[in-house]
Amino acid sequence: MEDKFDCIVIGGGIAGLSAALTLAKNNMKFLLIERGEFSGAKNVSGGVLWGEGLSKLVPNYWEEEDAGFERFINHRRLSFMDDDSSFSIDFKSSSFDDKPYKGVIVLRAKFDNWLAEKVQEAIEASEHPDESFMAPNILVEEVLMEDGRAVGIRAGEEKFYADSVIISEGVNNLLTRQVGLQDDYVPADTLAIGVKEIIKYDQKVLEDRFQLNGNSGMSNEFIGTATQGVEGGGFLYTNKDSVSFGLVLGMISLRDSGKKPYDILNEFKAHPVVADTLRGGEVVEYSAHAVSTGDMKVMPKEIYSDGVLVAGEAANLLMNSGKAIQGMDYAMHSGVLAAETIVEAREAGDFSKTKLKAYRDKLEKSFVLQDMRNFQGAVEFLHSKQMFESVPGLVCDFGKQFFSIKNEPTPKTREMLSKSVKKHSSYWELLKLGIKGARSL
Amino acid sequence: MKKLSIAERLGMVNYQNQGKTEAKPHILVDTDICNTGCDHKATTRVCPANCYTLDEVGKVHFQFEDCIECGTCMYACDKGAVTWEYPDPEIGRGVKWNFG
Repeated sequence: MEDKFDCIVIGGGIAGLSAALTLAKNNMKFLLIERGEFSGAKNVSGGVLWGEGLSKLVPNYWEEEDAGFERFINHRRLSFMDDDSSFSIDFKSSSFDDKPYKGVIVLRAKFDNWLAEKVQEAIEASEHPDESFMAPNILVEEVLMEDGRAVGIRAGEEKFYADSVIISEGVNNLLTRQVGLQDDYVPADTLAIGVKEIIKYDQKVLEDRFQLNGNSGMSNEFIGTATQGVEGGGFLYTNKDSVSFGLVLGMISLRDSGKKPYDILNEFKAHPVVADTLRGGEVVEYSAHAVSTGDMKVMPKEIYSDGVLVAGEAANLLMNSGKAIQGMDYAMHSGVLAAETIVEAREAGDFSKTKLKAYRDKLEKSFVLQDMRNFQGAVEFLHSKQMFESVPGLVCDFGKQFFSIKNEPTPKTREMLSKSVKKHSSYWELLKLGIKGARSL
Repeated sequence: MKKLSIAERLGMVNYQNQGKTEAKPHILVDTDICNTGCDHKATTRVCPANCYTLDEVGKVHFQFEDCIECGTCMYACDKGAVTWEYPDPEIGRGVKWNFG
């Protein structure tokens, strides 16, 4: 068939765009289809793109006047909260100002759109500037199969054919299910729901309030009262002139709590420490999205088959290990690896399952699956009730004692700690938790 | 900051084909299943766009117009009442984020 593509990429989010950029650089003929009006129009994330992957895909991106990111991160804070207090671990380092940045804060409607421009530029610079395309505002309804092999896609009445298909459709992976790589029904246990607000400030106010310098930024994660007893945590990231502020809530835990996600978000905003932080802002967008928790149980049965690969959150590649919520970097890297596998398959003229298994192998060797496998214990640890209830309570209780000067005889720190521990847990529980935590991290 | 109601929050959301009076629903809910065979009615609590509501006699109602395509109901419903598709870009009503 003359008009057959080497590859059709379904979904123009970070995984799909990273795959497309890699395909273009390798002179492949491809079609990328995005269901939103533009790349990013449908996408929500926290969101920090961690790691240096972006600099490999778009070298020296920071030199661009208006590159797609909001701010780079050189300041991190983890806050334990009870009803009236917040006890934080705070780390800021100018060594994080060095390029490539170790993490950039992004807003997807802008970032993905910018990354799509990079793909278009790469198509134009490739050997097939008129034979590779990016098509927004089109919904892929079906992956076409012939003899168990993916051969193309259908959108409405239109059919397009290719040697291979990369499914990068996001967490709600309907097509991954259709091709049989994921169960038709995915239960809620291994999923969470993210709710988020974009809160706008005068840029000068934002920079002063969060001690930002130039385009430096801060990430703050919250654990404890933020979620009103529901499993999960909160986040705050500084954009150029706004903050991304929200919660990630375990679906089953939320269901059983009887609370509504947007009400918990209101309570979180009203917490005295948070209220002081957010004062004077104007909410300009409310958004929400389902998100994988990082529990590998939810992953598709396999991420490759004859003529087809699954990348990004469609493959549930996402993890919160306690150090960072990683997902966009996994999407980027899996997209690149999927595309590299397609390039090799093109050279070998073999798009069979046996050949495409190379994608699984690459992903297993990469930080994506290495980390997800190594930190499964941490994922479980973070979802334990102690972590989001007893520990924040204990830490804040200790803080209240340690930092209050009463002009009374002051107990020794050990006694204070002992008191807090007894109130919220026990030494035995804490010891068990400590061992578990030390092992998992 | 002032507490926002869900209506105020959804008022900030842009949708595709917002001007059109009728749109093709992308989610179909068999509320008979919700109202006869479901003990938890989870969708009425977890949906972040309040598309699933309970009336005064405890019956589940669904509207797709405010849906922001998050996917939550597709996981939260374990009774098979929710048929979830992506909205059609031409005739459906889908979300369009300004920030994301």
